[in-house]
Amino acid sequence: MAPRTVAPFGPQHPVLPEPIQLKITYEDEKVVDVVPAIGYGHRGIEKACELNEYPKNIYLCERICGICSCIHGISYCEVVERLWPIDVPPRAKYLRTIWSEMSRTHSHLLWLGLLADAFGFESMFMQFWRIREKVLDLLEMTTGQRVTQSISVVGGVRRDIDDEQKKKCIEVLREVRKESEALINVLANDYTVKARTVGKGVLTKEQAIALGCTGPHLRASGVKEDCRMQGLQAYGDLGFEPIVEKDGDCYARTLVRCRELLQAIDLQLEAFSKMPEGEIAVRPKGNPPANEAVYRAEQPRGEVFYYAKGNGTRNLERLRVRTPTYANIPSLLVMLPGCELPDVPVIVLSIDPCISCTER
Amino acid sequence: MPLMLPTVIRNFFGGYATRLYPFKDVREPFVRARGHIEFDENKCILCGNCARRCPAAAIEINKEKNELVFNAAHCIICEVCAEACNKDAIRVEPKWRAPFYSKPVEVHHPKGKEKAS
Repeated sequence: MAPRTVAPFGPQHPVLPEPIQLKITYEDEKVVDVVPAIGYGHRGIEKACELNEYPKNIYLCERICGICSCIHGISYCEVVERLWPIDVPPRAKYLRTIWSEMSRTHSHLLWLGLLADAFGFESMFMQFWRIREKVLDLLEMTTGQRVTQSISVVGGVRRDIDDEQKKKCIEVLREVRKESEALINVLANDYTVKARTVGKGVLTKEQAIALGCTGPHLRASGVKEDCRMQGLQAYGDLGFEPIVEKDGDCYARTLVRCRELLQAIDLQLEAFSKMPEGEIAVRPKGNPPANEAVYRAEQPRGEVFYYAKGNGTRNLERLRVRTPTYANIPSLLVMLPGCELPDVPVIVLSIDPCISCTER
Repeated sequence: MPLMLPTVIRNFFGGYATRLYPFKDVREPFVRARGHIEFDENKCILCGNCARRCPAAAIEINKEKNELVFNAAHCIICEVCAEACNKDAIRVEPKWRAPFYSKPVEVHHPKGKEKAS
């Protein structure tokens, strides 16, 4: 029997810039055991949110994560609005949907690039990130910032999208869709890509449900579950249907994200065509009342859960955030044992880990 | 490889995807981009609306000394101060600040109140 060796994967590793450690035990080149360790990037954001006044928390919650910052800001506003509750104007709902889907588009493009990078397909990585830059430009044009958009406020949104910007957005999104389709065609059919992803890190439907996975990771194992199915914001009007694959391997997870990327662009185009005129925000009256509220939103990585408890003052008594990567890490303990050592980066990346979200 | 071929040919003849920076200038920021904030000392009356609402505590008001201290390194350019200002004394400019070696602290002595009286 070959001797067992323990090697650390992270917290500093070229494929994953974020600090998570996986203690990998392997025999020859085969992984036999994995122990994840998190806690390298804890910032105490939940506690800080209790000390801040409630409107200031929007900007703090956005900094939970750099990629899905827009959806974090929107989710915080939605959960605080539920304390009153406040009814947000329809146009604001559409604008929130558009910006959420825009951030999903750039997040999936980022992930597809990182996946290509993980198995050494450098030119594909550059191509995906080149397209992503156009989406970031759209975000900068409409919201004012590339990364931390700070666009949502309690009661609505801060900026409107005028006709000229709308025209530009539609034009660029069509371009992005066309270019993405061409790249996805290569990514989904190339035999080297298939050799590195098909049959790797298989997670069955039963395992995915038992381990509480969320997001594209869960949908790739054949479970039709997506928070956008609740029909909140404008999703109810847009005829949203979640994307599901059955195989549960790295290839299925890639396909789910590829199809979701195209779907996100379609949702934005549809939202632009159906967007009603009107107000974009209402002013909340007084402080958040003594009440409790929860909100679930679909981030690019899965379900984010917000819980807020008000006490009638300008500060919240408690804010709790559960992020998708925390729910997806346990599945690594099932997927990694039995795989070859060079497949570890691809399998770890296939859950789209976001450690700054996880540790807050 | 046959799948890749059209992409390879397009990239080969398609020209540059990036800007040739030292020879060509960077693109202008978008009109509504949030680059940095600027204070107008002639309009500010030291009411403190901006300092109270700033999520990063980047603005300090000292009414006794007639001072507004702005810590640019703390500023997250969220535009909340500009929205809160009743006198239009804070302007959001689309250009980014140049990188700095030491944390700049701007001290303003507003004259808006004297003008109003």
